[in-house]
Amino acid sequence: MPGLSRADNSTLGRWWWTVDRWTLGAIGTLIGVGYIMMLAASPAVAERIGQSRDIFILKQVVFLALAGGVVVCVSLLSPRGIRRLALAGCIVALALTAATLVVGMEIKGARRWISLPGMSLQPSEFLKPCFAVVAAWMISEGRRSPRFYGIPMAVSIFAVIAFLLKSQPDIGMLAVVTSVFFIQLYIGGLNVFLVGIGTLGLGGAAAAAYLLFPHVQMRVQKFLHPTIESAYQPTMALEAFGNGGLLGRGPGEGSVKDHLPDAHADFVYAVAGEEFGLLICLAILGIFAFIVLRGLLRLVREQDLFIVLACTGLVAGFGLQAFVNMASSLALIPTKGMTLPFISYGGSSALAVALGMGMLLALTRRRHHGDAP
Amino acid sequence: MVTEPPSPDSAPHNPGGVPANRRGTPRDGSVPRVETVRITAPDLKRRGAMEKTRSRLVYSAIGFTLLFLAVALKLADATVLQPLAPHRPERPIARLLEPQKAADAAVRSQRAMITDRNGEFLAVSLPTVALYANPKEMIDTAEAAHRLKLALPRLDEPKVALRLANAEKQFVYLARQLSAREEVAINSLGIPGVYFENTERRRYPLGRTAAHLLGGVDVDGQGIAGVEKQFDKRLREDNTPLRLSVDVKVQAVVRDELSKAIADFHAIGGCGVVMDVNTGEVIAMVSLPDYDANLVRQATDEERFNRAVTGMYEPGSTFKLQTAAMALDSDVAHPWDQFDAAHPIHIGRFTITDFEGKKRFLYLPEVLVYSSNLGAAHIAQAVGAERQRAWLRSMGMLDRIGVELPEAGRPLAPPAANWKEIATLTIGFGHGIAVSPLHVVRGTAAIANGGIVLRPTVLARDDDQARPEGTRVMRGETSDTMRKIMRLVVTDGYGKPAESPGYYPGGKTGTAEKVAAHGGYKKHTNVAAFMSVFPMHKPRYAVYMMLDEPKANSTTHGYATAGWVAAPAAGRVIGRIAPMLGMMPEIENAAEINQALAMPLQPTRQWRAVPMASKPAQAPFAPGLPAPGLPASVPPRDSRHEAGVPTQPTPAFPKGPIGASVMPANVSRPVMHDAAG
Repeated sequence: MPGLSRADNSTLGRWWWTVDRWTLGAIGTLIGVGYIMMLAASPAVAERIGQSRDIFILKQVVFLALAGGVVVCVSLLSPRGIRRLALAGCIVALALTAATLVVGMEIKGARRWISLPGMSLQPSEFLKPCFAVVAAWMISEGRRSPRFYGIPMAVSIFAVIAFLLKSQPDIGMLAVVTSVFFIQLYIGGLNVFLVGIGTLGLGGAAAAAYLLFPHVQMRVQKFLHPTIESAYQPTMALEAFGNGGLLGRGPGEGSVKDHLPDAHADFVYAVAGEEFGLLICLAILGIFAFIVLRGLLRLVREQDLFIVLACTGLVAGFGLQAFVNMASSLALIPTKGMTLPFISYGGSSALAVALGMGMLLALTRRRHHGDAP
Repeated sequence: MVTEPPSPDSAPHNPGGVPANRRGTPRDGSVPRVETVRITAPDLKRRGAMEKTRSRLVYSAIGFTLLFLAVALKLADATVLQPLAPHRPERPIARLLEPQKAADAAVRSQRAMITDRNGEFLAVSLPTVALYANPKEMIDTAEAAHRLKLALPRLDEPKVALRLANAEKQFVYLARQLSAREEVAINSLGIPGVYFENTERRRYPLGRTAAHLLGGVDVDGQGIAGVEKQFDKRLREDNTPLRLSVDVKVQAVVRDELSKAIADFHAIGGCGVVMDVNTGEVIAMVSLPDYDANLVRQATDEERFNRAVTGMYEPGSTFKLQTAAMALDSDVAHPWDQFDAAHPIHIGRFTITDFEGKKRFLYLPEVLVYSSNLGAAHIAQAVGAERQRAWLRSMGMLDRIGVELPEAGRPLAPPAANWKEIATLTIGFGHGIAVSPLHVVRGTAAIANGGIVLRPTVLARDDDQARPEGTRVMRGETSDTMRKIMRLVVTDGYGKPAESPGYYPGGKTGTAEKVAAHGGYKKHTNVAAFMSVFPMHKPRYAVYMMLDEPKANSTTHGYATAGWVAAPAAGRVIGRIAPMLGMMPEIENAAEINQALAMPLQPTRQWRAVPMASKPAQAPFAPGLPAPGLPASVPPRDSRHEAGVPTQPTPAFPKGPIGASVMPANVSRPVMHDAAG
């Protein structure tokens, strides 16, 4: 894009000179890594799913390309446009998430997906970024005008989402959405006492999840008391990392992808570890850390509370999702099925993450002072 | 600055202290031409909030940094510092392999053994191998199933093929408990995706012996009944053998005699309990029909039903011991008191009668010896509902028994509000309440052992352990009297067939009609039990034998009552187990013992006070034969009696013709005792 001149006043031109190009570049890199990992993990997975490898790859190529397009297109919007998009997206995603309980496909005991031709859609993935923006808007609007009950409204929407996710059940997603919302409230200036209560509440909720959901309990037990049989996945993943070592076994030389059913999604980081080694894994981790930390620290200069909260929510959701994925494939936390943004296989996930990153880029574009946020 | 009250047309009072300024106008007293910075209170607040927000953004960034740092460290650890790659020989085999070894060792260290009190094995775990498969690693599951069938003929090939073909899972059990030969044969087939799992198998070498006590385990080796369930955690975690109180020899004898009696009288089942009356240890507990503990999963519900602790039966006449002890201990009745057994009791729509009654007034010992329902009902009536209920509660008859068996059930008794007079009367002879046989055993043991109620246990006590904690529920003297009456039942009453020479058993029969499922009694379906304790002069063990729905046969002259069907079995059990328990028949000093236990069927008021009248040479209790749990020297008889009796004019309640001037049952406590004492 260096062809764009500073004087170019077109939409694209203005976008290019105002968008955060470092973050954009990092996202592009992640998508590139996603292509490579898809090539690495695909043969085994294609065989397991029973699809031809070409179709499998083709689908992901299309999804990642679409994801890139979504990032760019969404980041062209104005903050106001983002707000409207998020509000609409939140309503649609909420309705679809509710619909999963009725018409959802049941996979491994949970109803999270809606079947569409060619792909299955997990609406709660889209709910996450949209709700982050909507919640940010409500909290900031509540601060601006005392008659607007921003926080109570945000909390009620959150309650609805929490109920839906609990019913699916999708405890991992619920944990991320809850944490993101809590971080937003915290950044938004929730007083320290309430922060303490909230932290206790999250701890209580985690304990309740442990007591109420047998599969959560089982995962935690396996994490705390691993045996060769029970901790099959984490052990296989750790073996993969160990097998990879510093520089990896080389592309296509890994074996974990043949043994782990979720190698292309939940354990893609382990595939990367085995085939490309510590350095590349650190690089991937570095890119995620870069996007998150740069996102948060750039906000320090931001004056507008809505922008701050929305970006915090988007970045935190993105960062937590990446953290949960990487940490569970490293057996740092109990196994939790969550995709690694842009790198795991899956259309729904890639598009949802792209939507969130597009919103982030749109909100962090340089604006003239006085531009309506 | 304003010192006087503001005039009505002055500027409005502004409590915030910041004057409301119009845009651009300088404030009063400010330097002219300098623009005033407009900072309104809300704006200040917002700026403060933004400051807070900024610092919190930094904190969040720090938080994320820490999270990512943790991932980076773990990543370095997993790839370079302590890599886990057991299938690469050039790398050190990493630490996760050690827990694997430990897990293996844990499998080998096994579930703890269970032994009887003498160390005989009741349950042991043997190492064995299970066969499982990962269908995802198999090339041709149908072929694999076929070849496995050749090596392991007991395999159900179609079923295995189906399980392998349909499996979404990566772990499918194919067979358990392979022999070494089978393991080698399967291993040499070299089928990919077939694995062996080291596991263990619980074996009960004695099969049916003590099966209800042991319970059993499921396919995964988890206890599902009996002590295996009760102590599941202990057995898995602590490898030292669990020593039960049961003695397999005694257990076998009780089972043998019980099954003979069941066969003789065509009973549908039965149970037998032997308990140490001084410690509460259960020496034997048999319930028939039973099952092979190795095959507990195939056992029917009927077989797994433990009549001794789960079955709740009306105790019937065995409860008259409780009624008598209660009345004696509360001084409501005395051995020389008489009770109306001549007239049926009509209460409400019920009529209480006696089975082959004597149709006269009976002395208290006679009430037990002839097992008079009317007499027991009158005694219970005299004691009263409140004391009766308190007594039964202290005897543990209203609660779970507390034995270490998950099957132990809860007695059925009327709630306090419903404990009406009719309940008092019928419970007096053991009807209208249902308790487990072990409840009866415990209660009777407390009557016999000097008055201490103990918690029954299936765990062996070490000899050096202190005497078990018990609760005194009656005076020692009451227990002394009751032992004599119990002995009298065997020497003179329905319990005669239980006599076992040299062991001086005492006891009480109990026949109760079974309660039908819909309520009401089932005629001609009895539960016949004999509750005994031996030896009566120095009680050691309680023996309880019960037959469920016995039928009369030619030898019993058409009777299927406890005295005919259960008492002989109890007698034979006593004769066989006493030597095993280290007791020899006491023949030499039989006269002394008999004298010590002697009690007339119709004691006079002087019986207790002047026991030596007939045989001056004999003490009421043979010296050196103190009742366990009592002081070595025989305590003096109740002083009120001794003081009172000699001065009593005999004809206070003259012993006229039977029934003529005997004391009415419900006024059984004469006033003159107090007056004289």
